[in-house]
Amino acid sequence: MREDLSTTPVKRRAVVAGALGIAAVGSSGLLSGCSSGEAAAGAAPESLSAPPTELGRKKTGINYPPGYVGPVARERRAIVTEPVTFTVVVPQSLTVGDWSKNEFTHWMEQQTGIRIQWRQVAGKGNDAETMTKVNAMMAAGDIPDAFLGIGFTRSQLYLYGAQNLFVDLNPYLDKYAPNLQQAMQDYPEARRLMVSPDKGIYSFPDINDCYHCRASNGRALLNSDWVRKVGLGMPTTTDEFREVLTAFKKADPAGGGKTIPFGGYKDAPLDTYFMNAFLYNPGEPWLVVDDGKVGVTYVKDEWREALKYLHGLYADGLLAKDIFTANEDQIKRYGDNPSGPILGGARVYYWGTLMTLDLVDPKARWRQYQTMEPLKGPGGVQVAPWNYLGVGLEVSTLVVTRKCRRPDLLVRWADFQLDLEVVLRSYAGPDIRWSAKGDKGINGKQSIYGYDSWNTDATKGKTWDQFGVMYRSGDFRLAERVNPKRPTFESPLYEQTRDHLFPFRQPMEQQFPPVTLEADQAAQDAEIGLNLKGEVTTSLAKFVTGKLDPSDDGQWNDYKDRINRIGLQPYLEIQQAAYETYQG
Amino acid sequence: MTVATVTPTTAPTGAGAPAPVRETRSDRIVMICNYTALGLFTLAVLYPLVYVLSASLSDPKNVVSGKVWLWPVGLSVEAFKAVFDYDSIVSGFGNSVVYALGGALLATALTLLAAYPLSRKGLPGKGIIMALFVFTMMFSGGLIPTYLVVDRLGLLNTRWAIILPGALAVWNMIITRTFFQSTIPEELVEAAKVDGCTDFGFFWRIVLPLSKPIIAVNLLFYAVAQWNSWFSALIYLTNEHLFPLQLVLRQILIQNNFDPSQVRDTAELIRMKELQEQLKFSLIVIATIPPLLIYPFVQKHFVKGAMVGSLKG
Repeated sequence: MREDLSTTPVKRRAVVAGALGIAAVGSSGLLSGCSSGEAAAGAAPESLSAPPTELGRKKTGINYPPGYVGPVARERRAIVTEPVTFTVVVPQSLTVGDWSKNEFTHWMEQQTGIRIQWRQVAGKGNDAETMTKVNAMMAAGDIPDAFLGIGFTRSQLYLYGAQNLFVDLNPYLDKYAPNLQQAMQDYPEARRLMVSPDKGIYSFPDINDCYHCRASNGRALLNSDWVRKVGLGMPTTTDEFREVLTAFKKADPAGGGKTIPFGGYKDAPLDTYFMNAFLYNPGEPWLVVDDGKVGVTYVKDEWREALKYLHGLYADGLLAKDIFTANEDQIKRYGDNPSGPILGGARVYYWGTLMTLDLVDPKARWRQYQTMEPLKGPGGVQVAPWNYLGVGLEVSTLVVTRKCRRPDLLVRWADFQLDLEVVLRSYAGPDIRWSAKGDKGINGKQSIYGYDSWNTDATKGKTWDQFGVMYRSGDFRLAERVNPKRPTFESPLYEQTRDHLFPFRQPMEQQFPPVTLEADQAAQDAEIGLNLKGEVTTSLAKFVTGKLDPSDDGQWNDYKDRINRIGLQPYLEIQQAAYETYQG
Repeated sequence: MTVATVTPTTAPTGAGAPAPVRETRSDRIVMICNYTALGLFTLAVLYPLVYVLSASLSDPKNVVSGKVWLWPVGLSVEAFKAVFDYDSIVSGFGNSVVYALGGALLATALTLLAAYPLSRKGLPGKGIIMALFVFTMMFSGGLIPTYLVVDRLGLLNTRWAIILPGALAVWNMIITRTFFQSTIPEELVEAAKVDGCTDFGFFWRIVLPLSKPIIAVNLLFYAVAQWNSWFSALIYLTNEHLFPLQLVLRQILIQNNFDPSQVRDTAELIRMKELQEQLKFSLIVIATIPPLLIYPFVQKHFVKGAMVGSLKG
């Protein structure tokens, strides 16, 4: 069935040894660098001899907003004239359905001439079970030409890449990925986020610059109607915030003592909002960079001050009793309370976690809840942690293996998908409509496209459900048309992020970047990291709820001792080294 | 059983009923405690079942908001309709039936064939064979070596990969062997031999007809195990058309487990959530029906067979 082109017998023993024997990584230094400018190990020599791909002419008739940065629609041509087949492993998805019968699959095949023989793996692509299966395949030498939508971590990509199991795409990206080159100019940090410590690029990335996601850790909502009712303004300092909550508790706007001044649930940590009134705290794994030195926030004195503040709020009954234990269903039950709102505010990622959203009614309850500005602490600190590096670019979207004889074709196939029109078809289906001049997008500027419905029933079997390779810039995402009759939460989410959080972001240098670790370090990092996480989160809850007292020096020192015993020092050394490698 | 024999004595002694033996006070107390404990136990087992059934028949919105706690609220069969819109669910159901039936038949046949000879006294090397069997209960080759074997045998991505590896459960085999030892006496074999019956003839004409309970037990054990399993399908299959129902069910349940701060598209989150809420309970109901259907028919054998096998071991 498969064309000769795509199969190369891989020496199974070598692969098994490679995949199982982590020791092989030690030699990565020797293997690196050999591939730039020449074809990858298993690739046919002709895979780099084809002339570079040129960008097609821009299509006309599409209304881009002024100053638009992002994917554009161009004239496209088929990649091959003779059909070529590749085997690609993908996650199973109910939305995609049968990958081989999927509508977008057919369209891609028709447009590019490249046929894909799909192999579906159960799981969602980045969970432990998917990886168990994928690792078994790797170890057994049962390797496809490529993986699409399988979430290898940076460290795994590096591990397999250094063993030459994955193809270093550097030379191919230079020659055959003009759209990606363009995107990398739009996003200067992209290359640094893609490249492994040995300078290899072992996957074709996906770019999805989600503006409001960059601020999600610092988002908390407050019922602005209630704030008005108690005659106060939206709080901007820790003291004002306490005052507002106290007023809520006293006024009891929900009636019958049902008022919960401030709630939350276990999946939205409190520290990423409140600690930022005392120091910059991005949240788990709580790593920050200070003048090139990597440190953690949870052992600092400012952290302790923040604990004292939260401890006080909790002791006064201003925080929900179940703020550390409620799950999403519970917080939603509070939010949806049938007899009227009972929550004064909550630490959640957006309205949808707090309640069922009524998108039609302009007076819907969720609209009462407004994004709070970060609070200014007694020391004058006021930060909204901004995720510059962790959101926007995902590695491991398309991974080409050494079994692939023509990596150039797969790279061109991936780059083809970065075209505006293809991006839209890939995740929203064929029923998109271009916007007319004057249609407003999410950010209030000229919109480019829109669709009347994007839900499971309409797109089932028609899209790749975000598993494809895409280029969705910030401008692109915000250029989605807003239906005036049915405005979604996207515009308010964007606006409130822009007005209340973005201005308070920390400098980018302070953020600890996504780093790549050597295999043995990755194991150590995972183990110590998990233990630290356990200790920090349980102690946080204990300090706040009063099981421990943050004002007690003995208890605070005990906590720090426990952290040190878990291995904070070696942990930080690993991170420091990885950070320096990232910086280059 | 206790319940059944005890019931008449607690019934109020109406006129005309035969005078029962008078209960003592302590009898009564024991009885009341017994009934309360058993009743609570039954409730604890029954409640989740009723809840799932009610939830599957309710409007998903009411389930999320916690209005459903016992009976369906806002009766709707939408969820069941939606299930059949998904090809993978329908094909998954079919596959699961095939795996459960095929797996149960094959595994039961293997179990009987292994257990009977091992239950007879005269088998040479019996101790060694038994030791080898038991060895596999405690040690296995591990995931990747097993994967390699399955791959090299050409089973990968075929239905056989689900049915063949690990088809025989040593535990079941031991129960079956004990059953044979205790119900088929050596004398019976001798008598048959005197009458000119071969070993195979004896197994076919005498042993099998006498072993219906244990056969039923094996079939049920294997079928249920196969019906509930998803791991080997996860590991060995990369063709969606071969996935069993449990794998699809699992897919729906985990699909919503996003790290909420990393959700790139809130619209997607809502969509997933709705899908999950809609399908979760109806799928659980559908996945539970087949085992529930077989149970009543096998139950009487089940108790008998398993008890005989284990007690006299």
